[in-house]
Amino acid sequence: MLKLKVILSLFLFAAAFLFIIAAAKDDGFGFYNPTLLQLEIPKGWPKPAINYFAKNKLTEQGFQLGKKLFYDSRLSRDKEVSCASCHQPFGAFATFDHDLSHGVNNSFTSRNAPALMNLAWMTSFHWDGGINHLEVQPLSPLTATNEMGQTLDSVLLMLKADTVYLRMFKAAFGEANINSQRMLRAIAQFTGSLISAGSKYDRVMNGLDTFSNFEKNGYRHFKNNCASCHKEPLFTDNSFRNNGLPLNRFNDAGRQKITGLSSDSLKFKVPSLRNVQLSFPYMHDGRIFSVPQVIDHYISKINIHQPGLDSVLRKPIILTKLQKNELTYFLYTLTDTAFTKSKRFGPDGPVFFKH
Amino acid sequence: MMTKGMQIKLFSVALAILVSCFQYGHAQNNKAKLVVKFETMANNKPLVLGDSGYVNEFAESYTITRLKYYISNISLGQKINSPASTEVFLVDAAHEDSISIWAWPGLYTKMIFTLGIDSALNNSGAQDGALDPLNGMFWTWNSGYVYFKMEGFSNASTADLQRIEHHIGGYQGPNKAVRQIELNLQQPLIINEGDQKEMTVVLNLDKYWKGQNDISIASKALIMIPGEWAKKSADNFPGMFTVKIVK
Repeated sequence: MLKLKVILSLFLFAAAFLFIIAAAKDDGFGFYNPTLLQLEIPKGWPKPAINYFAKNKLTEQGFQLGKKLFYDSRLSRDKEVSCASCHQPFGAFATFDHDLSHGVNNSFTSRNAPALMNLAWMTSFHWDGGINHLEVQPLSPLTATNEMGQTLDSVLLMLKADTVYLRMFKAAFGEANINSQRMLRAIAQFTGSLISAGSKYDRVMNGLDTFSNFEKNGYRHFKNNCASCHKEPLFTDNSFRNNGLPLNRFNDAGRQKITGLSSDSLKFKVPSLRNVQLSFPYMHDGRIFSVPQVIDHYISKINIHQPGLDSVLRKPIILTKLQKNELTYFLYTLTDTAFTKSKRFGPDGPVFFKH
Repeated sequence: MMTKGMQIKLFSVALAILVSCFQYGHAQNNKAKLVVKFETMANNKPLVLGDSGYVNEFAESYTITRLKYYISNISLGQKINSPASTEVFLVDAAHEDSISIWAWPGLYTKMIFTLGIDSALNNSGAQDGALDPLNGMFWTWNSGYVYFKMEGFSNASTADLQRIEHHIGGYQGPNKAVRQIELNLQQPLIINEGDQKEMTVVLNLDKYWKGQNDISIASKALIMIPGEWAKKSADNFPGMFTVKIVK
């Protein structure tokens, strides 16, 4: 029995030793010693419906690699457009003050760039919900001819020729072997970590601040008129709805393009209202410029005979001019400047924004 | 100091590991290797990519420039099915790759596989290997895999540049385009321990255009999204395969 004990302990020691050696092995691209991170769920929030980090373990090294990729315009065909060109941190990661965004070769997108925040709680991506997982989302802007206009092969070739990237992939994934899966997973670690939960609204909910009377009245109007779709605390219910906007010049039928169902015609994803003050202009094509104008749309501009109009909008919202202002000021309490000015989420150095 | 109970536990764990190692080795030895080759035929001759002169049942002449499809869950069957291979293979008519799987000894009368990708792999994020989006078989604007991708040209096509683009996929609800293929072997296949067997599966493109459904180029030169036409095409998948040679 003693012999067995000795053999077993020797075996365990050898295994531990080999493991340490393997982990510490430097193949010329640095070491692999990842710092595990946990997705922090803000107080009072539900757990994400999908755990995007089950297979893609969140680490500091993966996050930093994802962040570098996010701000690197060399990922695009003309080396001028990065993810951050259209998803600007100071605009809550939407395109600040632009209805549509600019892609390579002076092209335009046909939809308004959505704000990137709290993506870990989303069950689909794009205005039409066509993307089913956080990891595969970047494939669309990377390859779209009116966005970054690049092929996946070319992106990977560029990354593989860059020693800084080789070292960062080693640090994040244990091998200086760059492939599409690792690149997409790193970007997901960055985008999935973009949590905005530090607005005045959040401080009030946590008992650390109080609304003004104006804001308090606005919150009541919000709960009575908007909260069924823009559900707290994420301010979206992740559903697709036809909100009475007529078909635009791009003949964009929204969700119908994905499902092929005529009943999904002109349905678009309900966007979160967090940071809504910064993510103007609004709607899937940026056709409405200000928050009061959006409220006007729901008060009086909806064509209630539009086929497929969402049932909750058949009865127009009734608000006085004062109430409209109160609602607007409540919505401005959703602005989270700690998020938009975060050093952790912002670029490490100067970044050229093409817009 | 270790208690007697702990010693016994440790000993049992070590024993279990040893036993499972032996079992694993035994199982590996017991199995036989099956190599599966895929060929494409049209008009009773091998399909050559880029060659013109092929004609379908609707008298439409066509040229195919690209033909790729996913095969998964390969197994041999009879009364008891050999366990399905969990690997996914991308068959590309441009290459002469063959697929190797393990099979249990036995007597088989069927070859079974899936044309397409199981639902779960369509919506669980970035994949690698055969499923790497680099292979051009993943839709970037409407997530999910293209199971069967055929491109080419035809005078009968009304699309731009007289293109044919049939990208068949779909994993959700009524749009599912995954199809299970069950092929009867002309003669029973006997597999003994340690055997190396070879099998050629033939895709007959004639049956793609006209099978359970009619897919004429004039009526549908472009199929780019999951839905009605993708399902019509997928319904023709089971009829287009046969097992030609077993040796």
